[in-house]
Amino acid sequence: MSLPFDPVECQVKVGIEVHQQLAAPTKLFCPCPTLKSDELPLCFERRLRPSQSELGRIDPAAVFEYNKGKANQYRLNPESACLVDADEEPPHPMSSIALQTTLIIARMMKAQVIDEVHVMRKIVIDGSNTAGFQRTSVVGLGGALSFDGKSVGVQSITVEEDSARVLGEDETYRRFALDRLGVPLVEIALDPMTGNPQDVEGAALQLGRVMRSTGRVARGLGTIRQDLNVSVMGGGVVEVKGVQKLNLVAKVVRYEATRQMGMLKISEEIRKRGVNEVVCKTLDITKVFSSPSSVIIKKIVEGGGRVICVSADGVAGLLGFEPYPGIRLGKELAEIARTNSLGGVIHSDEFRKQKVTEAEEAELRALMSVSKDAALVLIAGPESRISVVGVLVTERLKAATAGVPRETRAATDDGETKYMRPRPGAARMYPETDIPEIVITTDMLTKVDQLVPLPWDERVAGYVKEYGLSQELALQLYDSGQAQLFERLAHELKLDRSVIASVLVEVPARVAREGITEERITPELLESVARSLDSGAFAKEAAFDVLKLLASGEAGSIGDALERLGIRTMTDDELDRLVSSVVERNRQLIAEKGDRAFSVLMGEVMKVARGRVDGGKVSAAIRREMGQVSKGQ
Amino acid sequence: MTVGEPARQRPANKPRFYFQSAGRSVFMGDMGGYRGPSLGVLQEAGVQVGDVVELDVGGELVKGTVVPRYQYNDDSHLVIKLKSGYNVGISVSRISSVKRVSAGERPAFVSQAPKPRSDLPEVAILGTGGTIASRVDYRTGAVHPAISSEDLYSLMPELSDIAVVKPEIVLTVYSENLEPGDWQKIAEKVSEAVSRGVRGVVVTTGTDTMGYTAAALSFALRGIPVPVFVVGSQRSSDRPSSDAYLNLIGAVSMAVSADLSGVYLSMHADTSDDRLAVHRGTRVRKNHTSARDAFQSIGVDPVAFWTRSGIESIATDAPKRGKGGFVAEPRFEQDVALVKFYPSMSTASLEAMAQKGLKGLIIEGSGLGHLNRKNIPTIKRLMDSGGVVCMTTQCIWGRVDMNVYDTGRDLLSAGVIPLEDMLAETALTKLMWVLANSRSPDEAKELMLKNLVGETTERSQQSRAS
Repeated sequence: MSLPFDPVECQVKVGIEVHQQLAAPTKLFCPCPTLKSDELPLCFERRLRPSQSELGRIDPAAVFEYNKGKANQYRLNPESACLVDADEEPPHPMSSIALQTTLIIARMMKAQVIDEVHVMRKIVIDGSNTAGFQRTSVVGLGGALSFDGKSVGVQSITVEEDSARVLGEDETYRRFALDRLGVPLVEIALDPMTGNPQDVEGAALQLGRVMRSTGRVARGLGTIRQDLNVSVMGGGVVEVKGVQKLNLVAKVVRYEATRQMGMLKISEEIRKRGVNEVVCKTLDITKVFSSPSSVIIKKIVEGGGRVICVSADGVAGLLGFEPYPGIRLGKELAEIARTNSLGGVIHSDEFRKQKVTEAEEAELRALMSVSKDAALVLIAGPESRISVVGVLVTERLKAATAGVPRETRAATDDGETKYMRPRPGAARMYPETDIPEIVITTDMLTKVDQLVPLPWDERVAGYVKEYGLSQELALQLYDSGQAQLFERLAHELKLDRSVIASVLVEVPARVAREGITEERITPELLESVARSLDSGAFAKEAAFDVLKLLASGEAGSIGDALERLGIRTMTDDELDRLVSSVVERNRQLIAEKGDRAFSVLMGEVMKVARGRVDGGKVSAAIRREMGQVSKGQ
Repeated sequence: MTVGEPARQRPANKPRFYFQSAGRSVFMGDMGGYRGPSLGVLQEAGVQVGDVVELDVGGELVKGTVVPRYQYNDDSHLVIKLKSGYNVGISVSRISSVKRVSAGERPAFVSQAPKPRSDLPEVAILGTGGTIASRVDYRTGAVHPAISSEDLYSLMPELSDIAVVKPEIVLTVYSENLEPGDWQKIAEKVSEAVSRGVRGVVVTTGTDTMGYTAAALSFALRGIPVPVFVVGSQRSSDRPSSDAYLNLIGAVSMAVSADLSGVYLSMHADTSDDRLAVHRGTRVRKNHTSARDAFQSIGVDPVAFWTRSGIESIATDAPKRGKGGFVAEPRFEQDVALVKFYPSMSTASLEAMAQKGLKGLIIEGSGLGHLNRKNIPTIKRLMDSGGVVCMTTQCIWGRVDMNVYDTGRDLLSAGVIPLEDMLAETALTKLMWVLANSRSPDEAKELMLKNLVGETTERSQQSRAS
């Protein structure tokens, strides 16, 4: 869905926050390996205590939830989770490699490195951290990111633990896997940027590039998570979490900016009506709304659920109002209901469409003591959930006068955003006293500075200059993460450097597009293909097929792959004989077309020779033979 | 601040800072642990811990709140809490200027604790130092232990539906610093509570020596008509995942409704948060440094289990609530040692004890109750001078039997008292108690051999799992 987007009108501001998993040998605070476990044989359950507010109050609803609500179920495999991850043992000292990687990144971005790093506990009680908090520490403040001739400031550079992997949820449990818990992440928060969405995407791309150039970050789907804090002029800041693919960043910014503009337009309409404050009421109408004509509601009530009605004075007609296609306040309310496991809501702007009759509407309005100017929202579901949703819907309706309430939204796969939860207040943090403070010494920094890689554009220029690669191939090589492997092979093998680069970069990209997961295209595999190619086992044109068979697992070895492909290298004699016979067959064509017959001949020869002889050699042989023929004639 | 002062009476104009470390509080003093150059920088600028400051650090401005410094850290960094909540340490040498922006806010903790129903029974909660409940002040990072009943109700509103709790601070020490004189204090306080008519007692303590405390109290409070639950937390109570909550709520619950009398230790039964195991105070040991289910009953099953639905599987031989007329016997003889035998152990240590005239000795022998026989003469000398020597095993499970091998027989002839399957740690507390409450070595020996509060069993269990 492509929404109209006017950058001048909305003056969108975006703050990028990136979480990148590090390619560290161990987790951040324990020596567990950082691998994903397919099997999770062990299991235990916990509850996390709600914390007190600043004034010392614990929300009674939260206490109720703690005792009677869902528990957290943690599944683990001993190969990837230990007692530290189960919150049964104090954390071990911070991984020095992870700290060093973070320092390298901080230096690369010219941030101020903190003299003494303090690890903090950041309270998280949604279950994704077994201890009820995430360990996190600021390592650098300030700095700048340059991209496309522009610059954006860096707010902070942090090293922290990743959370447990969400497995799912049901009536009794929220389920998590502990393999991911504790994996080191570096978090970089940039200053808010104004400008066009393409710039935001450019900055995010560059940020990724900077981190990858260290050679010490993890690669593959899910290893980097991008969050965007988006606001338009006149609106609050909305946090959009989980933009997985880089090429969705610009799209998400445009969608969210337009959505927010839509919300502002709705608030304008509300004010035009003279409504400065939306007055809301809530009533449980299960008993009185007997035998509803709406099948949906009927089914829920018959199943033991209840129905509440929230009324909002003065906003009738504005729940279904679409300032932009698909942008409706009613849709926002439905999303709130859905994230709380309800099917949706039924609001008065679509009562007829949802089979709520005029008579029923009149009855409701009488019950709620509201006029036709009020909007009504029906929320049906299990008793345990509807009151929470009722409160959230009421709050959202009240916030409609302001326009864009602060909230947390999730990015979708098609570049849109949907409501996730209300935006939390200031993070609750206190010192992690089990980890001594870490003084960053000048020795440490000297070592770090030696490990800081060249700026990316210098690196790329270096590849062009030293290895004769094209600019495009050089940039691809840089982005691929195989640069070190390339440099090693370039010195060891006889192959043309561009061919090596192609094998390490272009060929795997093509194979990945065939649907084979990146994880299976390992550097070891690429190296073996390059070396085999170097030894003359096959020609470069076959590299794609060979790699595809190996990566997919269909072939167990290069020899196996070559056999399956029917590739046996062709001797020079064989080639000459083949070329002769093809040329002989096509004498007439050569006589007629002359030089232009070359491509036909090439096609015929390559049908047989592809992968077995270097294409350049084939073309030379054909030209030679053609030359002979014309001479002979 | 002196121990035992209720929170309300602390002077309001002097903020006190505590630094929480794995459930322990370290008193910081008024300047929050700063000393030397770092203290100098603060004093020069007229800044107190808690104030908001703006620092010039090499040309960059850093604004935040000055928070306390852990006393074991160096004296050359200032710790600032940024607006984002993160703490950062800044080297004093890099600070060109300090500007005090505003005074620190006093903590505005308003207790809005629910009040318990007046018809609920009373449960005494005696604190000895482990913080079973605490509150975090996120503005400074300080962790404040719950001291008053208001604090407790505020942190655990569930309690207001279970009992009228009267928390009392008996001691504030790390449990490894507890001495027999402290066990006596605790026993006396328990006794006072019982005579007040409480339905049950909960004793909170650090977990390091909790097994010893439970055993000691078992002897000192023989015949107590109500249950006493010794509890603690393995994971510090400031964290949302702490086992403190279930442990305390379960203990108070059982103090009200369990038909039990005697001293028990109650902690998580396993790593999950759904079940507590109730262990006889004389047969429980800490078998893991940090896990929630560190405490295990040895050689017996736990007396009962507790879940949020209530207490279950109570052992049939567990003593039930009684009527009254109980007198505590809280005294302990301190001059008793516990020695773990090991190969190559020299006779010198036991010699020194014999020379000093040690009153009692528990040996944690090897296997069925043995030690290097070159020590036998020394042991004889110890006993000749009136010392009581008893044998337990370092195997933890199983019972001693000194009739099987020569070494054992020789030790028996020398007069060493075999203690069946009594835990070494329990034996230490029992001997200390027996020596203080008997009139002669013979009477002491008799009492050591007699099963008083379930510290020994007659029949050995099949499985080692508890």
